[in-house]
Amino acid sequence: MDGVRVGKRVIGAQAPVIIGWENIGRVEGGPLKQFIFTWFQPTALFALIVFWYYAPNSIAKASTAIGIGIAFKVLLLALEWVSPRYESWRLTWKELVTDLFYVGLGYTILDLIEHYIGSGAVIEAIQHSFDWDKLAWFTGLPLLVQAFLISFIFDFGQYWMHRGMHNWYPLWLPHSVHHYITQLNINKGAVGNPIELFLIGLGIGGFFDFLPRAALLAGTFGLTIGIYQHINVRFNTPRWWRFLFNTTEHHSLHHSQDFEATRSNYSNTYIFIDRIFGTCVDGEAELLGLEGGRRMSIREQMTYPFTEGWKTIKERYGRPETAVPAE
Amino acid sequence: MTASSRLQRGDDVTARFLEWIWHVKGSLALTADQSADEALTKLGPLFNQSGTSYERRGDTLTFSKKDQAAQDKMSIFDGGVLKIEREPAGPVLRYHLTSRALLFCFLAPLLFLSFAGLTIAAGKFSKPPAEETAKKEDKKDKALPQHWIDKALGAPAPEKPKKDDKKKDEGKGPKPTAAYVFAGLFAALYVVGRILEGRLVKSLFRKSLLS
Repeated sequence: MDGVRVGKRVIGAQAPVIIGWENIGRVEGGPLKQFIFTWFQPTALFALIVFWYYAPNSIAKASTAIGIGIAFKVLLLALEWVSPRYESWRLTWKELVTDLFYVGLGYTILDLIEHYIGSGAVIEAIQHSFDWDKLAWFTGLPLLVQAFLISFIFDFGQYWMHRGMHNWYPLWLPHSVHHYITQLNINKGAVGNPIELFLIGLGIGGFFDFLPRAALLAGTFGLTIGIYQHINVRFNTPRWWRFLFNTTEHHSLHHSQDFEATRSNYSNTYIFIDRIFGTCVDGEAELLGLEGGRRMSIREQMTYPFTEGWKTIKERYGRPETAVPAE
Repeated sequence: MTASSRLQRGDDVTARFLEWIWHVKGSLALTADQSADEALTKLGPLFNQSGTSYERRGDTLTFSKKDQAAQDKMSIFDGGVLKIEREPAGPVLRYHLTSRALLFCFLAPLLFLSFAGLTIAAGKFSKPPAEETAKKEDKKDKALPQHWIDKALGAPAPEKPKKDDKKKDEGKGPKPTAAYVFAGLFAALYVVGRILEGRLVKSLFRKSLLS
């Protein structure tokens, strides 16, 4: 495999990838299907922005957001069923159960841990001990600016955390587990070692005071943009969208079996952050995973960072076995 | 029936039910002219998957899987035995497969119920002192601003949370609701999976034997 030169790097020398938007397949079918799969993403984004912007205060609350989030995910699962991007990524019962197990961890035990020792708790402690008030001026900004800043600050932090995970071994250990997935589906973003899921959820957004409606709008950006990272649906994504936002194409390349390809497209929502820092590669891949696509069991996903870390420590610092000379 | 044989029978029923949780058994009639060798040869490609090892001995095929790929059509199973038996009505394929994924899904509701218990326990131990709560309320009791652009575009004016709501909010940490929902979800998924996967594997064997 020769690979393709992208800047100073050669991508696709170890596993097949497609580089360049012009080489990516398009939705096949009649004009109605083409229309739906071209305009679905922008329509959902703008419709939900308008909804949250104008919804009366009695409706604009977290419980409504949770309901919309679940309904939207069910709709996307249906889209995956009707029009999968790759047959090899088709969701099976076992994959659905595995994915939902991790989603469940996020909503329960990880949420509990995050509540007591996560960034929210730490920020509250800092503010309390220094008697800071939050950055109150933030609430005076226009709603959409507040919403964008909330999601951008979080994504910017996540970009560097994610890039750090791919460049520093102690952070790579917990993150590597997520790279053993061999297909992309709506809930695959939740799959990973709990330590990584905790780390990736850290943010400094808690320092800012913002209007509740702005937080709901920021959540909508995540729901209607970031969610497509792990979707098994082919869209004719508009050019402006894929220039600004992360897509399943970008993220499939990040999960490719090709090492160089995985060192790209780190952001969660805004791919322009990758463009700014020179880590964006436009393209896609079907063959995903590590070790030639070995699927990790849940048990191994839970223990791998520790067992692998221990192995490495032993190799590096362990007493070398002294050879006994033959008599 | 004596008391001891009744007890014995009860134990057998329990054991059979426990086994049913994660063991899938079934049979499939073959065509009269299909030999055991021919049938197992046709089923062979199903086991040519990464992470799968299998062995054929006479009329029996035994397989085991480790780290099976998501794309493997039998990925839900970790091992099993397929046997061709001669019966008066004709040859029959009998199979006995085991699935840790089914067992895991069966036990998952218990795990999430324990998370619910943990959440309730953590909430009881970490109620904030009443004074601190009152202080916080005083501090936050300011009007919320609205930018003129949002006003001009007609967005509803931000509302201060009502005092009663605030009190409610202060008292609550994470709730166990999500854990209950996931416990229910996994119970439902187990029932679906136990029925669906049994049928899917049967149809997979049938298709392979007819090919």
